[in-house]
Amino acid sequence: MHFCPQCSKILSLGRHGDFFAFLGVPRKLNLDAADLERRFRELSRQFHPDYFYNATPAERRASLERSSYLNDAYRTLKNPVTRIEYLLKLEGLATAGAEHGGSGRASVPPALLEEVFALNEELDDIRGARSAGAPRDEIAARLARARLPIERKRDEHARDLEALAAKWDASGDRDTLAALHDRILERNYINNLLATIEQEANA
Amino acid sequence: MSKVVGIDLGTTNSLVAYVRDGRPEVIRDAAGDGLVPSVVSIDAGGTVFVGREAQRRLLTDAGRTAYSVKRFMGKGFDDVRGEANRFPFAISGDAVVRIGLGDRTFTPPEISAFVLRELKHRAEAFFAAQGEVDHEVDRAVITVPAYFNDAQRTATRDAGRIAGLEVLRIINEPTAASLAYGLDKRHTGVIAVYDLGGGTFDISILRVEDGVFQVLSTNGDTHLGGDDIDHLLMEHIGRGFGQDVRKAVIQAKWDLSERDETTIQVAGSAYSRRVTRAEFESLIAPIVERTLAPCRQALADAGLQPAGIDEVVLVGGSTRIPLVRRRVEELFGKTPHSQLNPDEVVALGAAVQADILVTGNREMLLLDVTPLSLGIETMGGVVSKIILRNSTIPATGSEMFTTGVDNQTAVDIHVVQGERELVADNRSLARFKLRGIPPMPAGLPRVQVQFQIDANGILSVTARELRTEVEQTIEVKPSYGLTDEQVEQMLLDSFEHAEADFDARLLIEARNEAESVIQATEKSLRDPDFAAIEQQELAPGERQKIESIVAGLKMVLNSKDRETIQKWTKALNDATLHLAEVMMNRSVRAALTGKNVNDA
Repeated sequence: MHFCPQCSKILSLGRHGDFFAFLGVPRKLNLDAADLERRFRELSRQFHPDYFYNATPAERRASLERSSYLNDAYRTLKNPVTRIEYLLKLEGLATAGAEHGGSGRASVPPALLEEVFALNEELDDIRGARSAGAPRDEIAARLARARLPIERKRDEHARDLEALAAKWDASGDRDTLAALHDRILERNYINNLLATIEQEANA
Repeated sequence: MSKVVGIDLGTTNSLVAYVRDGRPEVIRDAAGDGLVPSVVSIDAGGTVFVGREAQRRLLTDAGRTAYSVKRFMGKGFDDVRGEANRFPFAISGDAVVRIGLGDRTFTPPEISAFVLRELKHRAEAFFAAQGEVDHEVDRAVITVPAYFNDAQRTATRDAGRIAGLEVLRIINEPTAASLAYGLDKRHTGVIAVYDLGGGTFDISILRVEDGVFQVLSTNGDTHLGGDDIDHLLMEHIGRGFGQDVRKAVIQAKWDLSERDETTIQVAGSAYSRRVTRAEFESLIAPIVERTLAPCRQALADAGLQPAGIDEVVLVGGSTRIPLVRRRVEELFGKTPHSQLNPDEVVALGAAVQADILVTGNREMLLLDVTPLSLGIETMGGVVSKIILRNSTIPATGSEMFTTGVDNQTAVDIHVVQGERELVADNRSLARFKLRGIPPMPAGLPRVQVQFQIDANGILSVTARELRTEVEQTIEVKPSYGLTDEQVEQMLLDSFEHAEADFDARLLIEARNEAESVIQATEKSLRDPDFAAIEQQELAPGERQKIESIVAGLKMVLNSKDRETIQKWTKALNDATLHLAEVMMNRSVRAALTGKNVNDA
């Protein structure tokens, strides 16, 4: 409920549901993208500060809060990965922090040990070759090769996440949720590895 | 009800527009000119000139004339030190650039405020002439480049306040342009707006559906535009950077959009040089190239391939350059639209947005994004991002802070904007000091800081200690820009100068009117039929009398004596009344007999 049933004024955002409830969609990981977008546009047309320019300060504040919340909700649910992360947070399995690289780098997820080990060795080698004056093309080619197994792993993960998401939508069980949690952490770690290779390529 | 307008505050030119019966229109002067050059000049007596008048003074009194000031909005002196020698006026300052014109110095928002005030007056005079009872213009939507950061947006809002305008909304130029385009047909699809102006470049990608203009991504460079092309040309011909040279290369640049070659001629010197379009294009190719990387990034951020773009719209005077059009067409694989005048389309969109705000018209809605990520400084000078770039605004983000020492009651927060990992590589926005944290053992307080980016793309910050529910006071020290107190003071100062400015305005208006009467008269005298007219219809000595009054008016034209100028103008008007009547009758007769006067 976004407006007062009696006076139809916009309500302040004191109590609100989670992003799913706010947008009026089921708490599922597979959402109808077109439906989500349509709801976002409809609610934007109801809340946006543009339409409260002549309203009271309280209504203007409410419109700003509600629009901001709507935008945050839409942005989060639109993207399948942030949608999973958000659901995990709602279910008490936070993955926050991992995305900033800090804590994500701290411990290597067991499933990635092999790849990380190989990559670090190769990167050390490449750095050595670089300082020995190896041609740029050669360095670039080696880095491109080093990306391949990591990218393969990333695609594997993307498929895994999809399957797990479908499974959770059907069953809603904790085990699936825990698996999703691990996959997300691994995924963030993989992205950090790719960023490291990228950095090396630009060095 | 007072009036609201939309204003395009450009690097080179500014415009004001309003909505009449649901359609946006540019407000023009008597000669039909909608552009007010963003140039401000102050003579030795302290009289302020704005627009065409100021632009003319660039050739006679460049040291007291400021242009391209938009490049300095929201900047510190260190940011612009490298290009300070390009400009004829004095540039100094610290966290805010200061522009010296004669013995007075101004901040960029103050200079921009002169331009805004000129537009405000223009609109007010227009509404008064339309017979509107309440013709005061006190509210406006002002546009900024989409890639403007918080400090640049705030500086623009400050300029509006100093000019006595309530800034209803700051909107992005490419988005404003899309609003103006979206009026003509019921668009549905993905639009790329490529906006290369006098000093800034923006690319925005929007999805338009059901009247909602939703920006998917934006990118750009707030220091790239026609100015840089002019500078390159000046360097190329090696005749220095004087205003006469600048004027000559700008003319050549314009010519080369129409022709394959032109001659650069510097007024008052024997210098003359032929330039071909090919030569020009190879010279400016690197600048055009610099606009393409932001385009590719915007596509990537929108998750699109070039083929996913349905329409491309060109905005800004520099998109008249054929090479720019060609490169844009190659990149997107679409012929770009340019049905609307690229100089005017932004102001039209601003007027539409102003109309939406005051009428609550819900047919169209603009959903814009923040162009740069917002972050805070964490340990080791690393940025932790709170609100990511291309987030739809308004947007919020929050972060939890605590204390490091027992009974600590204040925490410092450094907020930056940009995409880089390290604080030093991003733009510092402000330092916030949270005060009034209840004394507790270290690590116990939980201060939630809420970052709010509003629909203008401007940040505000609130904080609350969650254990005690105490709202924190926040002291803001902007890294670049003016404090609220400074803006207030400037507003007061501008009132003090208002009277002098008013007199100066009346003088300028008197001169302008005199000039247009002289022009009209001389045009009649040069008419191929004039000899016949004189012989058949004018009284003996009538022509001589007109000519002597023209000469007299020209003599007093540049004096400061407004009443004398007006007296002579009236004399010329009276003396030419009969001639005007005769000319009018002849053209009416010619029209009735179906014959063109010039064919006679």
